[in-house]
Amino acid sequence: MAGKNCVAIAGDTRFGVRNQTVALDSNRIFKINNRTLFGMTGLNTDILTLRESFKFQMNLYNLEEEREISPKTFAHNVAQTLYSKRFGPYFITPIIAGLEGEDYTPFLCATDLIGAMEFPKSFVVAGTGEESLMGVCETFYKENMEPEELFEVVSQCLLAAVDRDALSGWGSVVHVLTKDGITTKRLRTRKD
Amino acid sequence: MFTLGSVLDNELKSTVEDFSFETNFSTNQLMLPNIEKPFEFAQSIIGLEKDLQENENQLMFHQQKKEERKERALIKGYKGTTTLAFIYEKGTVIAVDSRATSGQYIASQSVQKVVPINSYMLGTLAGGAADCQFFLAHLGRICNLYELRNNETISVAAASKLLNNILYSYRNYGLSVGSMICGYDTRGPQLYYIDSDGSRLKNSLFSVGSGSPFAYGVLDAGYRWDLSKEEALDLGRRAICAATFKDSYSGGTIKVYHIDENGWVKISDDDASELWYEYEKKEKKEKK
Repeated sequence: MAGKNCVAIAGDTRFGVRNQTVALDSNRIFKINNRTLFGMTGLNTDILTLRESFKFQMNLYNLEEEREISPKTFAHNVAQTLYSKRFGPYFITPIIAGLEGEDYTPFLCATDLIGAMEFPKSFVVAGTGEESLMGVCETFYKENMEPEELFEVVSQCLLAAVDRDALSGWGSVVHVLTKDGITTKRLRTRKD
Repeated sequence: MFTLGSVLDNELKSTVEDFSFETNFSTNQLMLPNIEKPFEFAQSIIGLEKDLQENENQLMFHQQKKEERKERALIKGYKGTTTLAFIYEKGTVIAVDSRATSGQYIASQSVQKVVPINSYMLGTLAGGAADCQFFLAHLGRICNLYELRNNETISVAAASKLLNNILYSYRNYGLSVGSMICGYDTRGPQLYYIDSDGSRLKNSLFSVGSGSPFAYGVLDAGYRWDLSKEEALDLGRRAICAATFKDSYSGGTIKVYHIDENGWVKISDDDASELWYEYEKKEKKEKK
């Protein structure tokens, strides 16, 4: 979700196989650099593979370009990587959130599993509970929220949606990205 | 299509001839739709995958693919549950969760999965909610009539046999009932598992539902015949708590009931997630 010169990404930390919960601490939101956060949902093996793949690509970019990648460029990179597997796709739904340019304008991007990009101004959702999340975010979103308020709204949206989805929950993490840095907090969720 | 009225009418019209079990309980039938081949129609509107697989050969709609039939299913069941019951020296303990899911959507966190049959018998609900609720309430009616006619309380074995016979006559119609009949009668604490496939099993402990493998783990490890009442209630609660934690389709609140010679009593009603956090805290304290 986007606020005033800040963005927040929240996700749950459950790893499960159909109905069984296997792990409570699988992190799916990764920091690309101080301006960009990248979250993925979907098949766990593809999440892990792509994390390594993008880490490698970003390291190479930093060495060649001698600067940090901007969120918009990174989003296009993600879309390109996913489309390269058009006929044997990675089964993930990625979300990119970051602060673009000198004046730290919030940037949000969501793509589907083969790289169709969308750049909404307010919020993006993904995962098994995305329909619930969409509804709750639509209700609670306001424009130009300060970081503290953004954190509250994002947390409440995630908790409410996760409680209506059987396959989500068991722990959650919220990252808020401002020009001063990233704050990470873990929320207490239902463990049933 | 399925009406309650026909069942009640048959009961009320029963006369002196109906004192035997055969006439009383074999003529009561739920109405079938007034079309050609009602059996096949009943099959086709059920979307439960189990029934589709079993009856693949019997159906007339061979050319239809399984997915098409599933899409046409008008009756979508609310499934996903954990219920358990066990008998021990001092009575019967029943523990259930309270979540109903429709696919992965949590339809409700406050479902009543224990249905009282009479003051000393309880039935649990697993599988199709509507099916279980109706048949357990119907069993309650039949037991009440038995007691009025015979001037003695019905035994758990007889009550479970009655339900078993009724469900067997609806075998392959796509009902989904996985109920446990628990009670205390002259033979002591009793526990029977009744299935919509027509099985009736007697044992000292059962767990039913999607979370039952996880509940069995805790239950089997801690079960003994000579538990104290506190230990038995705690065991039931812990087993359901473990199942709600591990199984995504179980959760909500954990309700625990106890049946002894004085009848059934609801012991506790705790939130599943809060209980898990409490157990975690207790373990940490004990480690220190």
